[in-house]
Amino acid sequence: MPGLVSDSGDSLVPFSPEPSPPPLYRLRHAPRPPHSRIAISWARGNCLRVSFFTNPSPPGDQSGGKVVEVSVGSGDLHDVQRRRIAYGSVSPFALLQSQKNSMSALAGMGVGSSTNVAEWWEHVMAFSDDISSLLGNPKRAMSSIIEDEKVVLKNVEEPTCLKAAWELIEIFYAEKQSQAWLPERLVDWLASYDCLLSTTEGTVHSKLVDLQKELATLQVIENDQKYWQGISSALAVGWLDIVVKLLRLHGSYQLDQLGNRETENGLVEAIAVLVSKMPRMRPELANGTLGECFNTKPEYMKGLEGMDSLAQKCMQLKPSSHSHELMRLMLGIIGENTEVVLAECSRSFGPWMVAHAIELLTIGSSGAETLLHEEQYNLGGISIEELYRLVYAQVLSSHALTWQASEIAPVYLMSCATQGMRLLEILLYKQPVQQNQILLKTLEICRLYELDSISSDIMKIAGVRQWKHGRKGSGVFWLQKAQDEVRLNRISQQLFDYVGRSISDNSFKWEGLIELLGQEAKTVSGLDFLHKYRDFKKSLQQITDGKASDAARQAVESLILLMKNPSTPQKFWLPLLHDSRRRWEEAIGGGDGDGKRRREKEEVTGGGDDDGEGRGDGDG
Amino acid sequence: MAVVVEPSSSDLQIHRLPQPKYIDALRWLPLISALDNPIALALHDSHSATSSIEIHALKTPPNPPSLDLQSSWPCPSRVSSLRVSQTPQKPLIAASTFDGSLHFLATHPVNLSIQSDTSIAEKGFHVGPIWGVDLLGSGGECVTGGEDGRVNLVTVGESRLSYRRVFDSEGLVSYTAAKWASPAEFATGGLGFSLQWWDQRKPGGAVSQFKGGWGRGGSSGIVHSIDIHPSRKHTCVGGGSSGTVFAWDLRWPEQPVVLSGIGTGERENTSPSESEVWEVQYDCFVHSSNISNVSSSRILPVMMCSEDGILAVVEEGEEPAELLAEPCAINSFDINVQNPSTVICSLEWESVAIITRQ
Repeated sequence: MPGLVSDSGDSLVPFSPEPSPPPLYRLRHAPRPPHSRIAISWARGNCLRVSFFTNPSPPGDQSGGKVVEVSVGSGDLHDVQRRRIAYGSVSPFALLQSQKNSMSALAGMGVGSSTNVAEWWEHVMAFSDDISSLLGNPKRAMSSIIEDEKVVLKNVEEPTCLKAAWELIEIFYAEKQSQAWLPERLVDWLASYDCLLSTTEGTVHSKLVDLQKELATLQVIENDQKYWQGISSALAVGWLDIVVKLLRLHGSYQLDQLGNRETENGLVEAIAVLVSKMPRMRPELANGTLGECFNTKPEYMKGLEGMDSLAQKCMQLKPSSHSHELMRLMLGIIGENTEVVLAECSRSFGPWMVAHAIELLTIGSSGAETLLHEEQYNLGGISIEELYRLVYAQVLSSHALTWQASEIAPVYLMSCATQGMRLLEILLYKQPVQQNQILLKTLEICRLYELDSISSDIMKIAGVRQWKHGRKGSGVFWLQKAQDEVRLNRISQQLFDYVGRSISDNSFKWEGLIELLGQEAKTVSGLDFLHKYRDFKKSLQQITDGKASDAARQAVESLILLMKNPSTPQKFWLPLLHDSRRRWEEAIGGGDGDGKRRREKEEVTGGGDDDGEGRGDGDG
Repeated sequence: MAVVVEPSSSDLQIHRLPQPKYIDALRWLPLISALDNPIALALHDSHSATSSIEIHALKTPPNPPSLDLQSSWPCPSRVSSLRVSQTPQKPLIAASTFDGSLHFLATHPVNLSIQSDTSIAEKGFHVGPIWGVDLLGSGGECVTGGEDGRVNLVTVGESRLSYRRVFDSEGLVSYTAAKWASPAEFATGGLGFSLQWWDQRKPGGAVSQFKGGWGRGGSSGIVHSIDIHPSRKHTCVGGGSSGTVFAWDLRWPEQPVVLSGIGTGERENTSPSESEVWEVQYDCFVHSSNISNVSSSRILPVMMCSEDGILAVVEEGEEPAELLAEPCAINSFDINVQNPSTVICSLEWESVAIITRQ
């Protein structure tokens, strides 16, 4: 979504004003010209529907056409891994929102706030851990291996930029207790992700990788310039264990040299010991890593000079290129510029990242919280937080799978107080009703969020569609569920035409539809007729089967009901009478029956003015 | 990657295996000769909008569970229903599609390759999706019921297929499920919680019909799945909308037994699911009771999966036992006939879950 102002500098969402050539899509399955008309519309998500209409030739023929769907844009979610992350982040997000809601409810009731805050930090950290575990599990690449001396770096799973960015934001925004130990946390982070920081220039990691390769072949290590550069780079970023290991590879440690190079060896060993005792300000160290820990600042300051120089050296090692996304993100974070952080996340890592990282950004800094939560006039009255959630929800609903899977996009939409419900309604209306399963899943979402009017609208659309495609039973079923009296009445007229042609034979196929219509009094009156007719036929059948008097009376009663019922169309009177006369004669026969029937008929048709009556007279 | 989740009860092991495509249906292939349990999956690739049927071998403990692809067959349109024949010597997979075509795949019993495929795809067969498919145990005949209201019987010969129309309602009803009861009888399910019983010896229509009219305001639903137990051929159990699982006994056709759902008042609180039940199957995994000891009027335990992510076993007069409660829908499942402690199910979020019960 582009910003609403033309000057890209002021826009809240990155928007590049320079025009790029529009992408061109070739339609492989398009029919050949000439076409009389072409229509284009959006199908779901990133799909364009192009309809080609051809003129009939020769005229008088049926006009034809073809509809082609074009998928434009690749979309984030075509990648399976991205979809996996999207699926997995739904539950943590939903949990956090419900925790937020319950806490604000408690706050509204005036429950003590300090415990709330501590609890809230815990919730956010749990959320952050859940998301982080979704993004992969790279181990620390820098842990030293004791078995193989020459191997300084361990080969582990390739970390991803997304995980690196998430952890960076987590370190700076969400870890409350580590505010004082930020530099050390940054060192840990660099240990895992330094390899990502640049693909073109040398990183400390890549330097060490190269050095490791050479170590295998070098005879006299300490004469090589790269050895010392490697040591100084690793020292500069605080990878002390690597420094010590490299130092111990110095030639003066070899057994045959020890005698001659005692002084040298002593010097190197002294450096190694000094490095291993380097003061570090952090609560604890993992086993095997070096340095001495100090918990409080005064103690720490008694040791080596502050890590300010460390940070300076870090920045010097990576001089000018800010083309890498992680670097830009880091600069934005260190510069405490929330807008830059958001913009960078959005541009480099996509809507998923922004929608979820906002949870971390809003927790600590009140400035960030205000910015993200206040309603922006130029966004139509919604907050930035809501904006990014809506954007993400739109991305989700552009892909068939992440939309179709219930509970994903609606979770994000329903967390948007202002526009979420409206957008959910729009998206629900756009769902296809052709396939029963997708239709049922859409209706399930409506049921979960209590959107009854949308549910009934969708059912009406489905019912009419089924009816038009010849599936009358399905059509009636859906229209009944939608309680659409108007359309049921209208289609009952069409049903009657159908009935007239086929109901006089005893075919079974009507049973199903009649059963479906149900016995409720609320049944549309026009279709009531079918019930009574079926009951009438049943009792007639019983007469033929020989259960005489009871059935006969029932049959007569049904017949009277039928004829009196205003919903019975007059065109059925003749077939009804015809049928019953035939059966009567078969079963009972004789004058009495005839006479009784004639009386009954007169009673019923007394007020009628049907043509059939005249003919009926003659027959009866 | 497989994730093992510690379940609430200690005798359940659950593994979830994410897949790269959407799973429309899945079935165990009952092959005794295969070392690893083979599974047939009907998959749909949303990116290229193509469907396929693949056979995978499920590696079981002590290895971590994983699905290894053995063979694959491209399907011309999306699969709506999948069935396999229960005879190990001649494993046959029947797949019906949204376009109204039916395909039969013959698999090799040992190397699990797909040897041949035959199909029926003509206008006269079905128009529109086929929802109810069932293969007779021996694989010789297949019944199909479609949304267009037709019921067909397909005879599977050595190399050719032929079919005959059993019934055509011309759209007045739609069939959504089908199941054989005996070589001459089968049951179908449709709209309005209706079940129909057919007997080939009495042609012309269904022999018996049932319509469930329960629930508040008579709200009706669709039967999505039917199962008939081989030792209780007169009882049909069906699952459908609003979490309803019910049993219909031909001997007492007007008195269905509602195992779950909005049927009778007192069961409302114990219904494990409130949304569409996609599949029901009799659960042959019994702890202590013997089937022959159970009186023939008692409904055997039934397993169901639903749209709100519940996989549970319901039993008449007992509390339902929940096996899985997922944040996404469970679209289909299958109990391994040879080893009923293992159940596979397909999750909406493109994964397969494997559950082993002790």
